[in-house]
Formats: sequence, C-alpha cells, structure tokens
Amino acid sequence: MVWLWQNLELVLGLALDHARLSVAPVLVSFIASIPLGWLANQSRVLRTILLTLGGVLFTIPSIALFVTLPVILGTRILDEINVVVALSIYAVAVMVRGSADAFASVSKDVIGSSTAVGYSRWGRFWGVELPLAGPVLLASLRVVSVTTVSLLSVGSLIGVTTLGYLFLDGYQRSFPTEVVIGIAFTVIIALIFDAVLVTIGRILMPYTRALPTSSRASVTRVAAEVTS
Amino acid sequence: MFAHKKGLGLAVAALAVTATLAGCSSSNPLDTGDGDTGNGATTAITIGSQGFAENEILAQIYGQVLAANGYEVTYNTSIGEREAFLTGLADGSIDLIPEYAGNLLYGSDPEATASSVEDVTAALPDVLEPLGLVTLDFAPGADADAFVVTKEFSEENNVTSIGDLAPIADTLTLAANTPFEGRWFGKLAETYGVEGLTFKAIDDFGGPGTLNELLTDTVQIADIYTTTPSIKANDLVVLEDPKSLIPVQNVVPLLSESVYSDKLAELLNAVSAKITTDELIDLNTTYGGDDKPSAAVVAEAWLKDNGFLK
Amino acid sequence: MNFFLDALAYIVDPANLTGAKGILPRLGDHLYYSALATGIALVVALPVGLAIGHTGRGRAFVIAISGAARALPTLGLLFFIVLFTGLGLWPLVAVLAILAVPPIIAGAYAGLESVNRQTIDAARAIGMTEWQLLWKVEVPLALPLIIGGIRSAALQVIATATIAGYVGLTGLGRFLIEGLAVRNYTLAIAGAILVAVLALLVDGLLALIQLLVTPRGVSRGVTSTAPRSRARLRRARATP
Repeated sequence: MVWLWQNLELVLGLALDHARLSVAPVLVSFIASIPLGWLANQSRVLRTILLTLGGVLFTIPSIALFVTLPVILGTRILDEINVVVALSIYAVAVMVRGSADAFASVSKDVIGSSTAVGYSRWGRFWGVELPLAGPVLLASLRVVSVTTVSLLSVGSLIGVTTLGYLFLDGYQRSFPTEVVIGIAFTVIIALIFDAVLVTIGRILMPYTRALPTSSRASVTRVAAEVTS
Repeated sequence: MFAHKKGLGLAVAALAVTATLAGCSSSNPLDTGDGDTGNGATTAITIGSQGFAENEILAQIYGQVLAANGYEVTYNTSIGEREAFLTGLADGSIDLIPEYAGNLLYGSDPEATASSVEDVTAALPDVLEPLGLVTLDFAPGADADAFVVTKEFSEENNVTSIGDLAPIADTLTLAANTPFEGRWFGKLAETYGVEGLTFKAIDDFGGPGTLNELLTDTVQIADIYTTTPSIKANDLVVLEDPKSLIPVQNVVPLLSESVYSDKLAELLNAVSAKITTDELIDLNTTYGGDDKPSAAVVAEAWLKDNGFLK
Repeated sequence: MNFFLDALAYIVDPANLTGAKGILPRLGDHLYYSALATGIALVVALPVGLAIGHTGRGRAFVIAISGAARALPTLGLLFFIVLFTGLGLWPLVAVLAILAVPPIIAGAYAGLESVNRQTIDAARAIGMTEWQLLWKVEVPLALPLIIGGIRSAALQVIATATIAGYVGLTGLGRFLIEGLAVRNYTLAIAGAILVAVLALLVDGLLALIQLLVTPRGVSRGVTSTAPRSRARLRRARATP
C-alpha cells in the first residue's frame, strides 16, 4: 500500500491509458454488431457465415494479431492503434454472436403485430426490434467490455502502455505487490466499465425493470456468456 | 564522434516539414510522434526502452535531461527485442533508445566480427547509416550478456571460463531470451568449440524466472546481464570470455538522424560520460531495493546527484 | 498476403514437422497444457454449476465471482504465481484453468435452468430422487448448453495457452515468440494459423459431440425462449 501511494502517479497514469484504450473496442463492437446481428437473422446462410467468421477471428492469439496488424494495416509498429484494432476485432467477433441471439430473441408475434399496426421496416427496427433486443445486447456488451479490459494488458508485451507494464516490471524485480496492484486496477476498471454500461442500460431501457422478474436480465446474460 | 554532419541538415529539414504539416496529418513519415506541437518552439522526441528495468531507467535519464532543456519528451516503454525497436526507429514510432554497442552491431549485422571498443566503434556507422540511424558517444559503463553459472557448478565441474564448458556441453542446458540461440550458438561453437548445449528460452532478460531455473539446477548456465544485482546477491560465477565472444556492450544512445542536433548530442554525451558500470549496478540495485521506486524516480535522483537536474 | 502464403508453406513443409522445434511436438505440448487445464476446470466448475442450476441457490454469488474472474488478466496472474512457484507447468495450468472456470459454470447452470419446469415436476411426480432427477432428466436435457460452455472454455484456453512460451514452456506460442523476437512474420503467422486451426478443430469436435448428445426434440436454441419459462418457474417455486 505504501508503494501504491508512492507510485500513485505512475499507476493512475497507466490506469488512465488502459481505460482510454479500452473504450474504442467496446464502442466499435457495439456499433458494428447491430447491423451484423440484424444481418445474421436475415437468412440461415448469412447467420452461419457471420458466426463462423466470428468464431475463427476469436481463436487468433492476441499477440499474433498485435504484431501482424502493422504489416496488414501499414501502421507503425509501436502504434497503439494496432492494439485497439486487434481488440476491436475480438470484441466484434464476440458481439456478432450476442447480437444475432439478441435479434433472434425478439418474438415473431411482436414483429408481426408491429407490422400490422403500420410500422415501416425501418421504423420497426428502431422502434421495436432494437429496444427489445437491447437487454441481450447489453448482456453481451458487458462480457465484451470485461474481456477487452482484461486482454489489453497483453499490449505491454509489445510496447503499448497499459497496466500490463506493472506485471512485467513487478515480475522482473520480484515484487508481487506491483503485479497485484496491476491486477487490482485492471479489475477495478472492468467493474467501472460494467457499472457504466449497466447505468446506460437502465437509462435507455427503463422498460426492462417493468418485466416480470429480475431473473430475466441474468438469464439473458448467462445465455450471452455461454454463447460468447 | 559517430554523428554524421548531414544529420543536422536532415533534422532541420524534418522539423521544417513537420512544422508545415503539423495539424494536417499524422501519416507523415517524418512526424516525430504524439507530442508534436508544430510551432517550432519545442522539439518533440519519443524515447523508447527495451523490456527490462535498467534500460528504462536509462531512457528516463536521457529523457529527463532533454525535458529539462526544452524538449517535449514522451516515453514508450517495454518495447522488447532489438528487431522490434529498430523497426520502431525506422517507422518513426520512437526517435531514441538506450542501446548496448555490441548487441546493436550484431543485431543489425549478423556477420559482424568486431569485439573491442575500437572495432565496434569503427563498424557501427556503416551498419547504421543505411537505416537512417546514428549513435552518440559511448558511455564508459557496459552491461553485457554473460554466461553465468552457480558457484557449486563452477567448483564441481572446474568451470571458470566459457571454453571449460566444451567437454560437458551436451549434458547442459542454457537459459536466455529467445534471440540468444540464433545470435550466439554458432559463434560459441566456432570460438570455443562448445557444441551440443540445450537451449531453453526464457524471455525475462535474465530476470527472476531465469535465476530460479539456475538456482534449482533446471538449467546450468544462464544469460544474465553483468550489471544485474542478482549475480552478486547469489554468489554466481560469470564465466570468463578470453576470446571475446561477447563484444563490448557499452551503453550508447541510438537515435534516428531526423532528431539529431548538436545541442542534443552535447546534452546526452555529458550524461553518458557519467554512466559507469558501477553506476549501472547501483541504479539496478536501487530499483530492486526495498522501496521499489519507479524508473522515473531512480533516474531523477541519479540526475540530481550528478548535477544534471536541480 | 505474401506472409500468409509463406506461413502456409512453412506449415506444410515436412521438414518443419518434427525435431525439437517441430510443429508436431509443439502441437502436442499445446494440446497437453490445454487439456490439462480444461480438465481441471471441469472437475472444479461442473459440480458447482450443476449444484447451482439444480438448487437455484448461490447463483448471484457465483455470477459475481465468475464475472470478476473474467476480468483477471491472465498474464498478470501468471507472473504473480510464477514469482512464488518459479517457472513450470503448474502455474500455467492453474492460470488457464481459472480462465476456463466461468464459462463452464455458466454453461452448466444455464443448461439446468433451461430445463422445462413441468418436466422436472413430472419427474418428481413419478417418484425420482433428486439424484435421479439430476442425472436422468436435467443433465441429459441440459447437455447441449453444458457442452456449449465447455466449447467456449476450450476455445479460450487453446488461444491463451500461447503464453506458455513466455514462462519457459513450449507449445505453439513458441512460433509466435520466436517470430516476434526476430521479426520473422512468416513464423509468427504460421504460429497463429496453427493455434487457430487447432482451436477450430477442437471446437468442431465438441460441436459434433454436442449435436450427438442432444436428445431428440430438444433444440439447441434453448436460450431464446428461456426467459419466459424462467419467469414462470420462479413463481412456481415461490409457492412450495
């Protein structure tokens, strides 16, 4: 604890960098997953293609993606953009599945009724399908956010400043405290992200609280966890 | 002096271009990095460091001196192996990094044979010029790869020099970072006739993992850098190298020509002149000591002690 | 794309298959670490997941714990353990097992909870003991989701086992690290391809098992209808 106090500036600086780099992948995955998830529900073939692609992308080891992206993107080798893009790819890969499930969970009857009351296809998507898919989308996004924050520390192995620095540094000078502080701050950032997502969810989807039981959210979340 | 005269011209040109383009685009290959203000009043410089503590402290030492003299300094830590930061220097991700003379030469030119300070000094410019890189003055202090064994092993097998390993080599395992095998095993056989060593890659720069393997006799030889405090702390034996297999490893700032200036050279050469091997060991000892200060704190204290900072 | 083709050429070159740094021994090691970790995780996580799913107790607690476990950075955890134990197989296996526990638990309890309430009541009505209920009704019906959790765990473990190369072990991660260390992209990409192919093969195998063990009439898409039956189930349980 004394060490944390003496090195607070260093730790907080790393934590801020860590948090900053984690934001983009989560946002990108959310935005990309909406059209992709919708697309996946348009035909069986599309669904299979998208989900398989997501599965394949997720199996690429992160460190491999970090180092080969500069070659593919033409970015500079130590640019943090490489890590952000790599994590975005994972996040999208996970979200596609969650989003496909989310849109699939919207009852066909509801879709039919909304068409009957005069919704256009476009209006129905924004006014009915997306809000109803919201809770499952949020559940997947929470998993994505936690995974992104946790995975980002690997970036330290290739010279991107994250809390992972404390792992490497603490390890090299045989100083477990430093490693633990790095782990603790990673978990704290993940929890903060999670709290932010839940809050945004409550604000945007007040109707989820009106649903019959509180178990709804956790069941959808569990479903998202299993499938992602 | 290892700097080339045209370095200054290039730097001026680079600054001019950067100043004109700043604010428009960051894809400009001469862009020096994040901290570029583009108004010409400050010079932005990104300092990299390799994946171990001593190097990061050195990066901080050079960086803080520059920062105190009007440079806008950003750091990029734990870049890792030489091949990574050479690419980083080439593509402008970083502008300067503390290096070790011999490894720099051998890392850039696998065919190199130079080993003494004079030879390495003479050989470096030819290798670095095509890469657009220059070095400043060598520091007197060096931190070399070393073949390290435990005292018991040394006594039991009567091994005090690298050549003594030859008769028993095929029963032994050596631990080092991944590139070590490709870089030294061929030369080891050539120079000392040591053949048949098993290689175990442990990428912690001679850190606690490597040390533990050595102390538990899982490996018998380890590549631990000569300024590492654990050598003394554990009574380890550094094998002699009478045929100079491992070249001199004096600390030397390596930078891209685009950031070279006489002012920068003057500032950093003065600092390098104070960096002796004993100072390096002290810095490492402080860093690993009870307080576990950050690299920045260790560097700042050293700079104050040596009158570079107030 | 040249790197990619070169990497494929490297993989299919018989000269690179065997030997100390060959593809086959490293593939074997990689599978060994992964199987060991997933196996240990199964032994720990499956009973916990089944217990929660069957009794409905301790759920919130376990969800919270496994959520936090997901946030634990694998690399940090590995370095932390190694500082105390030294390098070796067990620190790696422990860290990978920790990675595998949350999805296995989630799969197991989500699977049991997805079982239709009426089916369970019917099983009790014909006099099954709780043990029989679990093994003869709940687990068979939940198998697709249980294996779904194991698939997810295995996939993550195989992709992450590349870190073995950082702690003095081998496995396919060595190709990545060796490639990285000397900027040999061909080697690094070959390593990445091998890991991805291995993960997909294992995933495909588990998917096949999932398909085979699914009782006729049970759809794999249970999750989408689960919430509604869930609500009913809660109410049913509230009045014993």
